[in-house]
Amino acid sequence: MTLTSHRPQTESQAALPEPPIRQSRERKNPVAFVILLVVCAILFLPVLWLLLTALKSPQQLASDPITWIPTQPQVQNFIDATMILPFWAYAANSLFLSTVTGVLTTVSSALVGYGFARLNGKGKKVLFGILIAMMMTPPIITLIPTYLLFAKVGLVGTYWPWVLWGMAGAPYLIFLYRQFFAQLPRELEEAAILDGCGRLRIFVQIFLPLSKPVIITAFVLSFNGVWGDFIAPQLLLNQDNTTLAVAITTGYVNSQGFPVNNLLAAGAVLYVLPVLIMFFFVQRSYVRGFATSGMK
Amino acid sequence: MSTQSLAKYVRSRNRPGASGFRGSGAFYAFISPWLIGTVLLTLFPLGYALWISFTNWDGIAPNQNWIGLKNYTDALSDPRMWASLQRTGLLALAVVPVTICGGLALALLLNEKVHWRSGLRMLVYLPAIVPPVAATLTWKLLFDRDSGAINGVTAIFGADAVSWMSGNTVFVVLLVVMLWGIGAGVLINLAALQDVPAELHEAARLDGANAFTAFWHVTLPSISPVLLFQVITTTIGVLQTFVPALLLSPANGPAAITAVPEANRVFMVDVYAQYFAYSKYGYASAMLWLFFLVILVVTIITFKIGGRTVFYAVDPSKEGKEG
Repeated sequence: MTLTSHRPQTESQAALPEPPIRQSRERKNPVAFVILLVVCAILFLPVLWLLLTALKSPQQLASDPITWIPTQPQVQNFIDATMILPFWAYAANSLFLSTVTGVLTTVSSALVGYGFARLNGKGKKVLFGILIAMMMTPPIITLIPTYLLFAKVGLVGTYWPWVLWGMAGAPYLIFLYRQFFAQLPRELEEAAILDGCGRLRIFVQIFLPLSKPVIITAFVLSFNGVWGDFIAPQLLLNQDNTTLAVAITTGYVNSQGFPVNNLLAAGAVLYVLPVLIMFFFVQRSYVRGFATSGMK
Repeated sequence: MSTQSLAKYVRSRNRPGASGFRGSGAFYAFISPWLIGTVLLTLFPLGYALWISFTNWDGIAPNQNWIGLKNYTDALSDPRMWASLQRTGLLALAVVPVTICGGLALALLLNEKVHWRSGLRMLVYLPAIVPPVAATLTWKLLFDRDSGAINGVTAIFGADAVSWMSGNTVFVVLLVVMLWGIGAGVLINLAALQDVPAELHEAARLDGANAFTAFWHVTLPSISPVLLFQVITTTIGVLQTFVPALLLSPANGPAAITAVPEANRVFMVDVYAQYFAYSKYGYASAMLWLFFLVILVVTIITFKIGGRTVFYAVDPSKEGKEG
């Protein structure tokens, strides 16, 4: 789930339906605005509380009645949060896994989506049905038996499972690509076919460049999926090579085993930040990814 | 290439409008990553779990003894399993309707012309992109007995501090964590709303429809496939709730699983505990398969009920009879 605020405007994309995101000069709806403002405030308050907690001293956390606004913001908490546990090492693990899986999933899902959208083969309908069924299969159900199998073949404690998952593509993203590719005109590839272009070349040189918003959407979704995942690293990795998602749930405790809430909050903020920044930057293309692939 | 596929190739070449590609080869080559992945990483593990579910394996013993359906009959006669299944169902009944209706309402409001629209859109979506671990920890801080904002607010009105993390109140915290992601469907809803043909609304208005009838007869049918898709994915998502329930435990690390308060012992918590705390691999696999069947049935029922009310526009992008 990543996006940038720039509007991708290439010749090729100009041909696609423009999602009408822009605000016009028409009269604004004040009632909707007020309701949204209230809802957004409620939805944002927890994030604000997380930030405030991250800036409190242990004394302020223990005060009765509670401290609402920390009088002396403890910026040091953020530094301490990265020292009390090997924060950056875990962050590097998360970044590595998310990137590898993100890139592999994005590419393989595009390949498969192209296959379903533009090629024909025996049993295609049945296979597409299976793809849809896979979209509906709860991942947690297959994860535990997959873990048991990986344990048998010695893949537990390694990053190989993420490589394999990435290479297999993700049903939801395959579906997204398929919807997008299916609505592109046939003429696109006809000339290339007459010129004797291979399917792979048509895919790489014609279809992929057209699908930038979907590619971005797919990468952001799969990157954030791995970054936010807790169960798979918890099951499959060890304490020293696990991800940030697992580390922040156990690392912020004092010597007696009690949670250190201000550092926990600071660590959580640092953990969430990359996801939020990424989302902020790619928002536009992200919305386009959904809009142009006709999610319906 | 077999003669059969060769013949098909020749036929497809001569058929007008055919793209002229060799039989199934290219298709299978392109979908092979997914095909191989599905067999190895989904179907095979599912089959493996099915096999284990007929044994009394403890995860360590070299031999797995076949005990037939015993795990299934044990599970089905265990009141604990029914209790956790009930809890999971209750969670879904509470979360799914609110998320779907709320998500639609928010999308409708955001589709209006309002000030700061893109900023508000991001704020609505923000909680949905916060990873579940961080979302749960955030609410844990808010509901903290001594330093949390929730008790801070109620204290202003003179109420006593509540220990939210124990007893039945922890289920409330779980509900709140789940409902916080209400904006998850907003982007898809917005995309769908922008696809509703403007001419339809125009026509409805000329026919004298008010805002509500236009919504009911034009907007809702147009976006119903997107809504059905969300109902199904949200239901499946909520049914497999695990991370928030696990992290709303007073204990940390591996001990957390057995310390999850009774009120939050949803189905996956139970399954996980059976596997990794009690080493009842066979029994846990049977529970997993029962749950898989439950989710399958729920999905099919949703499709059947939803399918009747969903309106599919003719989609020119879909070839032939499909769709």
